[in-house]
Amino acid sequence: MSTTSASGTDFSDSAPAGSAGDGQALPAGIGPWALAWRRLRRNKTSMAFGGLFLLIVVLCLLAPVYSHDVAHIGPAAENITGTIKVGGKTENIVSLTDIPIGPTWHSHYFLGADELGRDVAVRLLYGGRNSLEIGAVATLITMIFGTLLGLAAGYFRGLADGAIRGVLDVIWAYPAVLLGVTLGTVLAVGSIGPLHGTNLMVPAVVIGFVYIPYVAKPIRGQTLGLREREFVDAARQQGLSHLRIMGWEILPNLASTIIVFIPLILANAILLEAGLTYLGAGVQPPNASWGTMITDGIDQIPAAFHLVLAPGIMLVLAVLSINIFGDGLVDALNPRAKVRISLTGSETDDH
Amino acid sequence: MKRYVKPLGAVLAVVIAAIAIGACGSSSSSSSSSKSSASSGAAAPSSSSSSGTITLAQGVFPQSLDPGLDYTTQGAETNWLVYTGLTTYAHTSGLASTKLIPGLATALPVITDGGKTYTVTLRKGLKFSNGKPVVASDFTYAVERSIKIPWGGSGEFITPNIVGGAAYSSGKAKSISGITTNDATGKIVIHLTHPYGAFVNVLAEPTLGLIPAGFPLKVQPTSPPPGVGPYKVTNIVANQSYDVVRNPLWPSMNVPGIPAGHVDVDVKVNSNVSANALAVLNNTADVFDWADTIPGSLQPQIQAKASSRFSFINLGGSVYYFFLNSQEKPFNNQLAREAVVTGLNEEALSRLGGGTLVPACFFLPPAVAGHPTSASCPYGTPGIGNLAKAKALVKQSGEEGAPVTVWSQERTPRLQWGTYYTQFLNSIGFKATQKPIADATYFTTIGEEKTLHPQTGFADWNQDFPNPIDFYGVLLTGGSILPTDNENFGETNDPQINTNAAKYSAISTTQLQANSTQWQALDEYTAKKAYVAVFGYQKFPKFTSSRINYGAALFNSIYGWDFTSFELK
Repeated sequence: MSTTSASGTDFSDSAPAGSAGDGQALPAGIGPWALAWRRLRRNKTSMAFGGLFLLIVVLCLLAPVYSHDVAHIGPAAENITGTIKVGGKTENIVSLTDIPIGPTWHSHYFLGADELGRDVAVRLLYGGRNSLEIGAVATLITMIFGTLLGLAAGYFRGLADGAIRGVLDVIWAYPAVLLGVTLGTVLAVGSIGPLHGTNLMVPAVVIGFVYIPYVAKPIRGQTLGLREREFVDAARQQGLSHLRIMGWEILPNLASTIIVFIPLILANAILLEAGLTYLGAGVQPPNASWGTMITDGIDQIPAAFHLVLAPGIMLVLAVLSINIFGDGLVDALNPRAKVRISLTGSETDDH
Repeated sequence: MKRYVKPLGAVLAVVIAAIAIGACGSSSSSSSSSKSSASSGAAAPSSSSSSGTITLAQGVFPQSLDPGLDYTTQGAETNWLVYTGLTTYAHTSGLASTKLIPGLATALPVITDGGKTYTVTLRKGLKFSNGKPVVASDFTYAVERSIKIPWGGSGEFITPNIVGGAAYSSGKAKSISGITTNDATGKIVIHLTHPYGAFVNVLAEPTLGLIPAGFPLKVQPTSPPPGVGPYKVTNIVANQSYDVVRNPLWPSMNVPGIPAGHVDVDVKVNSNVSANALAVLNNTADVFDWADTIPGSLQPQIQAKASSRFSFINLGGSVYYFFLNSQEKPFNNQLAREAVVTGLNEEALSRLGGGTLVPACFFLPPAVAGHPTSASCPYGTPGIGNLAKAKALVKQSGEEGAPVTVWSQERTPRLQWGTYYTQFLNSIGFKATQKPIADATYFTTIGEEKTLHPQTGFADWNQDFPNPIDFYGVLLTGGSILPTDNENFGETNDPQINTNAAKYSAISTTQLQANSTQWQALDEYTAKKAYVAVFGYQKFPKFTSSRINYGAALFNSIYGWDFTSFELK
């Protein structure tokens, strides 16, 4: 995974020379966040994919409603020996040789069944909740610890920096998947505190831990630069504590970097969860996630392709939409973007 | 300005990548190897027919290729041809393949002293696969090693039955006093503590196959001892592969009834059984391991393309079940156990197994004398199960909400059986969670009786020999509970079972049919007590590539594929 690093949020609302008309005054300054929001809003592709991701989240949150009111079956309810009427014909939900029924395009088994007779559409939505929850928690862990460690390393430098960097380098040296599988397997068999076995937080913690260096290192780099700035000097002169300087002076200037990282980490976390689950170290049965659905469906590809296709498409759409929205966010927060402000107060983007 | 990958292209690329990754499959585990092998997905094709090597695709590595430890079908499939015992089984198929014949002994044992003394004479001119001559005292060493390691069946079949076995096992004696041998004449005399009708079958176990005296008493997983047989094992790469090659010394030993092999066998291990089946279908592997299950999703394809080299064989000698630990909550409660067997949907489990299971309720399978032929199942005919009654029984037992850990293997369909069973337990009122364990370490893990005490989980058993004591003695009697490598996972310790199994164990294999009603009564009692939740008897796949002479390939009822019968067309 590559990291992007914004070089700072040096927003400028000064128009290029000659763009606003000579001798004419500019309208009152627009704050950097408002500017960024305007740029983002005008990026229709990013907004569309952001909306798509939001739609996926809402659909997954509505899983209990779909399960109860539409499909009338829970995500873990097995119905191996049940039957269903499709086109006037009674069919086995799971055949005598373990081949599940395909999409019926009706409320019951809309996307078909899996080999345990579970409703694929219901599991897709519940699985989405778990995948997104794991992704979100992992992202939170990564961002909090990554930011704190990067900030501390960059600000204090010296021994603290060396120690933190050493730990980060050790974690970074392991391929993310390998480290994830190792930790996930250990926690699946044993436990650390309340984290054990089938707890969904196990893969979330594992993934969050694995990605900490990917955030901490760029944050550290930026902090090293920011701590030499005049406003930080001024704060020191005023006798402010280290904590106060880090929290009130430096951290706000890292905000755009942090914001840019969030969708990046979220997308990778969701993908890594699917990968770890496929390798047996992520979400444990009978919990559903897009990863478990793909894993469970692999053996059925010759006869029931829909078991892999449905979660695969959802995974792709979710990750793609986060990534594209994230790219738009990067562009919106990009300080090199020049904005011409016309006299009417509207602006055009000429980058 | 950044360029975006066209969304549709990205969708297709990722979906195709996901499918490609899935189709490649995963190995059971990885270790470094200097031997090249196609480890992902299909097993490697064998070399040219002139070298006579075929590839066998196996879903799980044996517990060990050291006969002193191994107690799995995967290991026995090879070891019975590498470590021939004083007796062995006929190289034929069907029920006739359970017939005992002399192995390294000149004749079947002479049994005297009311069934307590067994006398045999070793054939002359025998050599181990490393060329060392075989002497009678090598048999004693094999027995000692099996007790010391210990072999999983030693607690039932060997240690308590041979005079001096228990003293040797506990360290009180330096050798087993009940075995006397004469290296000059080849005579071996074994004294038993009590008549044990199946002992002549025990002598056929690979663990009692002769090995050179002085071989290390510890398990040697990658360099097992040399044996005497038509084959020997080489090139062991743990969890990945091993070669079963023809023993060049065997043909000259002229042991009647045990033919030499025609081909060498490269065994490739891949936990993705779908990939294994496809490999055999597409002729990139030659033999599908008999102990694996062909996924139902592939059966239509295999039937359509390879019907002349594929069939299911109903051996009737195996049982598939969930053990219920009668020493641990909640299954120390009879009503809780009854709830499980009442509600279990054997039909569903059969479908998950690709339709290869015959739904059942009795512990002794049909090919074993003592299988109840006329009795009804005490908790309903095996089929859909009665969920409502099961829920009521759980409530009545007072164990509603009890936490339960369900142990299962990881390969298809055992993982799915575990998942179904976990959800079933939750639906009748328990709080169950599934704990899948890597196949290669599953039975060793749940067999750690001194630390684990597993509540319930998957287990299966294929007959070591056609005698009910093989099932009861190892899996259901109190005396068979071992601190490690335990096979009585449910820690069943019922006085009635213990007493009757010990009594009936004296019935010799040849007299079993005449006395089968006693075993039947015991099996019906076991079903009523619900110590195990039996769900089926397995039908095994006989599936080869088009290179193999399918008609000539034999299935032994106890050991599965008979490698000596493999021929290239």
